[in-house]
Amino acid sequence: MITKIVSKNFEILNSHTMAVALENGRYASLENLFLQKPREIIDTISQSGLRGKGGGGAHAGSKWQLAADTQGTKYLVVNADESEPGTFKDRQILSKDPHLLIEGIICTCYAIGSHISYIYVRGEYEEFSDILQSAIDEAYEKNIIGSGAQYPLDITVHRGGGAYICGEKSALLESLEGNRGHPRLKPHTPQAESYFGEPALVNNVETIASVPFIVENGAEAYRAYGTEKSPGTLLFALSGHVEKPGVYEAEFGLGMWEYIHTLGGGVKNGKMLKAVIPGGASTPILPAHLVQEAKLDYESLKSLGTELGTGGMILLDEDASMVKALKNLLRFYHHESCGQCTPCREGTSWVDKTLDKFIAKTATTEDLKILKSVSKSMNGKTICVFAPAASGVINGFLKHFENEFLECIQ
Amino acid sequence: MRITIDDISIECEEGELLIDVMLNNNINIPHFCYHQDLGADGNCRMCMVEIKGAKRPQIACDTFVKENLEVITKSENINEVKRSILELELLNHPVDCPICDQAGECKLQDYYMDYGLYESHLTTPKTKKGKAIELGSNVMLDQERCVLCTRCTRFTSEITKTGELGIIGRGDSARVGVAPGHELNNPYAMNVVELCPVGALTSKDFRFKQRVWFLDTSKSICHGCSRGCNISIDYNETKYTREKIHRFRARRNARINQSFLCDYGRLSYKELNNSFKGTSSSIEDLKELLKEDKKLALASPSLSLEQLQAIQTLCQTHNIKLFCLAYYDESFGDGWLKTNDKSANLASVKKLGICTCQEEFDAALQEAELILNFDHTLLKHQEFGNKKSVQFTSTHLPPACGYCFGFANFAHDTGTLINCEGITQKFYATRFRDKNPSLSELLEQLR
Amino acid sequence: MSFRFNQENTIKIASLLNRYPQKKALILPLLWLAQKQEGFISDAAMKNISEFLELPLMHVYSVASFYTMFRFAKNEKKVIEVCRTLSCELNGSEDIKKYIQSNYSDRFEIVEVECMGACSGAPMCTLEGKYFENVTPQKIDKVFNDN
Repeated sequence: MITKIVSKNFEILNSHTMAVALENGRYASLENLFLQKPREIIDTISQSGLRGKGGGGAHAGSKWQLAADTQGTKYLVVNADESEPGTFKDRQILSKDPHLLIEGIICTCYAIGSHISYIYVRGEYEEFSDILQSAIDEAYEKNIIGSGAQYPLDITVHRGGGAYICGEKSALLESLEGNRGHPRLKPHTPQAESYFGEPALVNNVETIASVPFIVENGAEAYRAYGTEKSPGTLLFALSGHVEKPGVYEAEFGLGMWEYIHTLGGGVKNGKMLKAVIPGGASTPILPAHLVQEAKLDYESLKSLGTELGTGGMILLDEDASMVKALKNLLRFYHHESCGQCTPCREGTSWVDKTLDKFIAKTATTEDLKILKSVSKSMNGKTICVFAPAASGVINGFLKHFENEFLECIQ
Repeated sequence: MRITIDDISIECEEGELLIDVMLNNNINIPHFCYHQDLGADGNCRMCMVEIKGAKRPQIACDTFVKENLEVITKSENINEVKRSILELELLNHPVDCPICDQAGECKLQDYYMDYGLYESHLTTPKTKKGKAIELGSNVMLDQERCVLCTRCTRFTSEITKTGELGIIGRGDSARVGVAPGHELNNPYAMNVVELCPVGALTSKDFRFKQRVWFLDTSKSICHGCSRGCNISIDYNETKYTREKIHRFRARRNARINQSFLCDYGRLSYKELNNSFKGTSSSIEDLKELLKEDKKLALASPSLSLEQLQAIQTLCQTHNIKLFCLAYYDESFGDGWLKTNDKSANLASVKKLGICTCQEEFDAALQEAELILNFDHTLLKHQEFGNKKSVQFTSTHLPPACGYCFGFANFAHDTGTLINCEGITQKFYATRFRDKNPSLSELLEQLR
Repeated sequence: MSFRFNQENTIKIASLLNRYPQKKALILPLLWLAQKQEGFISDAAMKNISEFLELPLMHVYSVASFYTMFRFAKNEKKVIEVCRTLSCELNGSEDIKKYIQSNYSDRFEIVEVECMGACSGAPMCTLEGKYFENVTPQKIDKVFNDN
């Protein structure tokens, strides 16, 4: 059931070191890379159907094309600000196979014509960014990157300071420019992101780490996995009430229930499953009966009213309190709102505080109305999707588990 | 190009911001963060409108007009959106309008009345923040009243580039502030009070002195230097006091001062409350005096074109040598609004061909037996020994040995100024007459 | 009180300068170096950074205050962070927090934090930034008593 493309070397001892990485096929794609024109690489990526693996699922090929077609000094920014609750896949790449990421960066930079790359790593991942930095240092020594490399390229690790919102690509770029991590207004026409006014491509760690396989084996080899619209694999992850939590790479399209029971060993302590948050905290919750129908791809989950997100599934067992779980998530959103837009700044705080009354069982029917109306006020009225995501989370809990909230009303 | 807003067809230009088109056409569009001279930031979400063909409401400050755009600003749906945003803005606001100096000119209060949010749904405690914080430069901050529109921080970072103000923290604990141990300190600082759409930033100079609904306003021009910044003079007359000017506010003029004023000009209103309070000398005495030989007149370069013309006519009739010396201060100008030439109307002086030569003036002063000073600061407090002198003054002067005539200052007069860029502008008198006549009326009596 | 970057950090800063198109981008790296050097971000350090980067002091302060990992006061004790987000809470982080609070609050400063990206190792905590996953009272005793 496991398909190892990105995670191929994870179990190998010292896989993060150059010697072991080279023995296990790292940098092998570069030979094939330099035989082709950058344009051909972009075409291959487009044909492979590779989609962004940081949660949004945008087609990588078209983003690359935009960056390549825009005049100016180009930047590749790798988003390693992995902060979505329930998501811990990128850190596996950073710590267990950093050379795969570097290889992917070389491929991507070559394709879009960039010679400067930043890896924005969340501040908390200090241990892992240290491992990554050693790998980068080794790559410089071996002239795989740097000014003496076949394709001259600088890679710089940039540590975040503790802000979930910097995972949003425009907020990340603001942060990388030395500003507060406030998301930018969306452009009115499709265009490349910008870093100090120059074109920038922002891709998630896993997306970039998937590139060498495609460059080495071709688009069709990647398309052999997954579904028509969601080709390839994802580092799906399990946490919460699960017997064997962890990251298990699998192709898109598997049954969620099957994945949980086969790879995760089922619900912890043999209990019944109540619900699954399918792709990181920001995706609407799926009650157990829908988990049985769900397939692990973008389209299936969308049809069930939720999202694939980052593929980080959080399981809640039969005894879990949905009121407590929602309170936990809203406390997170309240803590992480950047504070720029009114609906998000005030809404997340209001819902968080109101949920305290449900926890204390002092809520009134008015409070339940507040949850619903504030959730509505937060949806579709802000610069970025943070507040709409929080709104979707609230709606998901109320849609499937309103009875538990009603029980908390005086 | 034409667009439709609420079924009204409006002419505009491709690429204009929808909110600008609406503001320029006096179409009501609630907004906090957008400001025509600071640009869009998109954070308050108050200016939402429906655009035909768009899935969701859009903010007018980030919508560019295009041919045949159809905009709806009034519908149950859009009202509901605005009501919800407003409810969130007010959530942690202290709603202390009765003791807030902004009441009466507060956007939050205006919109609150428009959208009828009379009942609070809040059942949880409000977030506490700092109150009555002295930021410096006469500016007081109440963080609880702030809607975080960032107009003030954008002003100090993008307009003055002094960067004293910023947002501290994030989420609902985000607040405006200054760096530890620092204060708001730049020659344009008080603009933030006027930029603030709510009662978060108030002026120490003005607050608690007047309720704004008791104020009248006249359109005027700042006389602090040659820039000719457009201002509103806010004044009133109460039962027990004569008319008093309470403040200057910037009046938008995109060509000259946008929406800004320097603090020097803004606070120069105080001089206008210092009009001549003494008894003017007799006109008949003055008529006698004018029969003297060797007469010299010095006019202030900040008098209006009309005043200067009247003086010039008088001088021609009575064979008086007329001079006008510029108020020049090399340390004053800053390359933006403030100019080294602190005369409000030197361009008019030049237009009328009045002599501005210092040497000629000095020589003439030596010779003169009668000196007429029209409000020029150089000679206002000067003693002339055995020469005779007549002061025409718009400000109060202590009793002196010479002759003295008070005349109404520019707040009580209507006139024309030509600024340093050659732009001709009119200013208008307030509703209440000064006890002193206008200079033109005064000179009329000499005919 | 004044602040200067030590020699080691000065060398690091010199090489970082070549990596970014504008100096302003160095705010976060410099804040990190300052915090590493002094244990917190002092007003003097922010002033130094603002002068070096030719940015208003308020900009540096505003940026620093946006991110939760920067401390503006010196910690006398080592810091334990306990994750409280969903996967950890579902696996008993509240009990862990209580255990640490009642046994270690005299020696350590205990802070609750949001998701650290270690959900498969829930519950988890960190000590001076180092991750400890699948923690139990026994494991905590072992690790913390060694520190």
